[in-house]
Amino acid sequence: MTSWAYIPQLLITGVTIGAIYALVAIGFVTIARASQIINFAQGEFVMLGGVITFVLLNKGFLPYPVAALLAVLIVILIGFSLHRLVIHPLRKASLLIILMATLGASFFMSSTSNLVFGSLPKSLPPFSGSEAFHVWGISILPQSLWVFLATSLLLILLYLLSHRTFIGKAMEASSTDPMGADLVGISRDLMLLMAFGVSAGVGAIAGILITPIFYTSYNSGTLLGLKGFVAAVLGGWGKPSGAILGGFVLGILESAGIAFIPSGYKDGVAFGILLLILYFRPKGILGSPFVDSRRW
Amino acid sequence: MGGGSITTVSKNEFRKRDLFYVVPMWLLSLVLPNPVPHRKREFQKRDLIYLAILVVLPLLWRDFHFHHLMVLAGMNAISALGLSLFLGYTGQISLGHAAFFGAGAYTTALLTTQQGFPSLLAFIISAAVSASFAYVIGKPILKLKGYFLALATLGFGEIFLVIVRETPGLTGGVVGISGIPWFTFAGIVFDTYLKQYYLIWGVLIGLLIFSKNIVRSRMGRAFLAVSASEDAASTVGIPVAQTKLKAFVMSAAFAGFGGSLFASVMATASPESFSLNLSILIVMMVILGGMGNLYGPIAGAIFLTWLTDVLAGFQEYSLPLYGMIFILLLIFFPEGIGTRLGFRIVYLISYWAKKRRREKGKIE
Amino acid sequence: MPETTFDNIRLCMLKEAVRERGTMKKNNRSLIVILLPFLFCFTWATPAYVAGKAPYKIGVNLEMTGPWGEVNKIVRNTLLMEVEKINGTGGIGGRPLQLLIEDNGFDLNRAAANMTKFSRDKEVIAVIGPFEDNFQATTRAIAEREKITNIIICPSNPKVRALKQKWSFNIAQNDIIVSEKLVDLCLARNYKKILVFPAQIPLAQSLADYFKQFGEAKGMKVIVSKETHLNTDIDMTPQLIKLKPILEQEKVDAFYACTGGPPGGVICKNIRSLGIKTPILGTHAFGFGFFISLGGEATEGVEFPAGKPVVNPEQLDEGDPVRPVITDLNNRLKARYGTGADQISGHAYDAIGLLHASLKRSGDKATRSQLRDSLENTKGFPGCMGIYNYSPTNHDGLTKKDLIFIRIEGQKFTRVKFPGFE
Repeated sequence: MTSWAYIPQLLITGVTIGAIYALVAIGFVTIARASQIINFAQGEFVMLGGVITFVLLNKGFLPYPVAALLAVLIVILIGFSLHRLVIHPLRKASLLIILMATLGASFFMSSTSNLVFGSLPKSLPPFSGSEAFHVWGISILPQSLWVFLATSLLLILLYLLSHRTFIGKAMEASSTDPMGADLVGISRDLMLLMAFGVSAGVGAIAGILITPIFYTSYNSGTLLGLKGFVAAVLGGWGKPSGAILGGFVLGILESAGIAFIPSGYKDGVAFGILLLILYFRPKGILGSPFVDSRRW
Repeated sequence: MGGGSITTVSKNEFRKRDLFYVVPMWLLSLVLPNPVPHRKREFQKRDLIYLAILVVLPLLWRDFHFHHLMVLAGMNAISALGLSLFLGYTGQISLGHAAFFGAGAYTTALLTTQQGFPSLLAFIISAAVSASFAYVIGKPILKLKGYFLALATLGFGEIFLVIVRETPGLTGGVVGISGIPWFTFAGIVFDTYLKQYYLIWGVLIGLLIFSKNIVRSRMGRAFLAVSASEDAASTVGIPVAQTKLKAFVMSAAFAGFGGSLFASVMATASPESFSLNLSILIVMMVILGGMGNLYGPIAGAIFLTWLTDVLAGFQEYSLPLYGMIFILLLIFFPEGIGTRLGFRIVYLISYWAKKRRREKGKIE
Repeated sequence: MPETTFDNIRLCMLKEAVRERGTMKKNNRSLIVILLPFLFCFTWATPAYVAGKAPYKIGVNLEMTGPWGEVNKIVRNTLLMEVEKINGTGGIGGRPLQLLIEDNGFDLNRAAANMTKFSRDKEVIAVIGPFEDNFQATTRAIAEREKITNIIICPSNPKVRALKQKWSFNIAQNDIIVSEKLVDLCLARNYKKILVFPAQIPLAQSLADYFKQFGEAKGMKVIVSKETHLNTDIDMTPQLIKLKPILEQEKVDAFYACTGGPPGGVICKNIRSLGIKTPILGTHAFGFGFFISLGGEATEGVEFPAGKPVVNPEQLDEGDPVRPVITDLNNRLKARYGTGADQISGHAYDAIGLLHASLKRSGDKATRSQLRDSLENTKGFPGCMGIYNYSPTNHDGLTKKDLIFIRIEGQKFTRVKFPGFE
């Protein structure tokens, strides 16, 4: 069987994981637009979403939707506390220190998750059945369709939020022109707090979507966060549309690449793409409002 | 602030309770190096004291766990010293130095086990290999700034790990290479922790002298200039890209030295030892030591190695505690622990004492 | 306006920080020499033991954080329970056992540092060693050099066996006997062609090699796939997609998932979700509760050889000397911690049990070398995993007969017997 024949099946996996990368990338971009901070703990929000839902479902015996909702709320609270406890005290510190602090926070969250929830991978029941559909020789899990559907809904929701509600518009203003927003009376601190909340929530939802297909364990957050960042840079750093595009492109490239190279190199593909993009076109596919401007 | 019943102490009156604070602070100030980069004389008398302690301490205190910890600290210190040239002086962030460390370790492992090279030759070649990786990677990457450079170096570190894991024929894959012979030089086999201690800290002192010379030279000042402002530096005529590349290659060579010693001391090289955690640890050592400082990262290395050893006693809480302490250290000591430590403690204590006095005054 | 001596000091230090401080009084420097070592002092202080005879101290070097954190907690809890039981009956010759537990954070440097920490304390007579395969080589080297007994919980592999080290002992079933037993399983089920999918850990790779060697000696065709997986992978679908055509073309009878830990369950789930119906074989590392909970319905019908504690003790033979040991451990664990015995607690029990028996044999105030000699002469010790027999040439202790065949039916581990293959 030639390598090309694997592509259709791998595309399905690629689009599924691409949706998750897109959500993680949106999380990065939300915070970066509000404050130019890169939150390396983003991947941990995804992990915590999945893990906390698992715990609430199995140990807390709550019904599935309630457990999921509660988990998202808890992760949003964790996002708020990350801002208050780690980012806010460091608001005047240099780039390097904030970077290291978010890395440290990511490490802390993953090892605490290991401590409290255990180190074994956790799985959630799929939203509808677990039998795959077989269409034209490829198997599609119903959960993949849910992922795609939910991601689209969430993205539409985020768009509506940022362009139609007052808070959303305030956040957009604060990120597009910080000084102007300050002058008008929008509190940048509060906007940053909201940004952390939003990206934590988005990450948690991504975690709940992905856990029925791919397992979540305490260390799956780190790599996911890094790849989400790669996706954000790939699509065009600083733009939500770039983040979405980058997520899907990365997912597809990564999965399709497996057909041609030994599967152990899977993670290397994402970083290889990163190095190539940073070398040839740091602006990303759609161009970036940040790179080449003096904001950085 | 005057006011009624607060007893004002005349400025020369000495209170016994101040001794309690003054003496330890003053002792601290003797020990911790002052992070001003340019000194009148290159080697202070303080440095001779450090050297004497370094040489004499393991002989006085024959506890081989202590020796082992100092050996581990020494290897990390070599990498941290190298990184301080790149991060501390030139101001660029690199989160991929574990890859250079690992490259040095694997080169030594391969050369000594499969080709039977003598240790000293393997040692030098390892540093050359790491330096050449840095040269190849550095040229395209170093034009990036800030977060992007950090991310690119992180990506390189991960790619290195993936390649190491996927080529079992060369590097032993996930299993790694074991059975690396001890470092031998001029007939001495460095097999006990005591001998390894002298080996590693000897190498470190040599590299330290080298770094001090670099820092005091034109190149060192070029590093500082690039860190302050790249545009201004290029205006003055400093070739910015070349300077950054030189710093990067030098720091990678140091990490290569460290990695080679790591392979000779631990007798095994496997990919888990060279992960992102090690890179972050080395960067943390430089931050805690203070940027623009050469002794600081070494002290930071000793401190962090000691800290991880102490935390092992906490069993399953060790890593969360480590994460928490990491964040707290960054919040409270972003410019290094030694920087004006005594000064800060004084400030804190005097602030607290004044507050208490204020409250007491109001109550009386 | 400086109010106190403090502000005075503050001003002075400010002034000094501004100008260069190159001068120091000579006689103050000697204070530095005294000061530095005290920074390290309190970490090296070992707590003094009060009252009674000096205890036998046993170091425990486990990965309490990291991917095996949960599993190692079970080891620790079982060790504590066993030590309490032994001390409750007066210890060994009046001396209690004392455990010193240190976490090595899944890091090679710390595992080595813990070994040296234990070795330098003269009262520690043995170290119950790492759970992770990769740390074995280093701790063995340190044990050999510092002459302290190292009981390792993971299986040995050809490389470390070749070193013929005197001071290290493994208590897990090694790769040779597991592969032999699996070959027996294939012969009993009449599988002629098997596809092996190994993990990228040394244990899996040596298991795959031995399986191929033994299988082909018995006339089976063994295909070892070029696709491998990491044992931290949580999705194996890409590799399985590539293996699917091979499975169909070669018409293999069974699929051997040669791995340990969570990937085992994940592989089963991935295979079934791709619509592949081939029977799945596993290694002894499949014998854990989390395997079923991870794999769910996909694990029905999976078969593998494993240690005896995996199944309920009632399923073991009546005359088996191991059965009462497991039953007793099972009851005590359920009473204290709520979960029953499994392979992991079995390992912990065996480690302490072997040390206990060896100390009893070596007389009062045993030294490290006396303990080692006594341990090496263990014959017929009934542990949870089987009957242990050590000798100067065999530091692994178990044989093929200590394994049983297990099949997963109804989401539970069930023992199957094949006449002629026990």
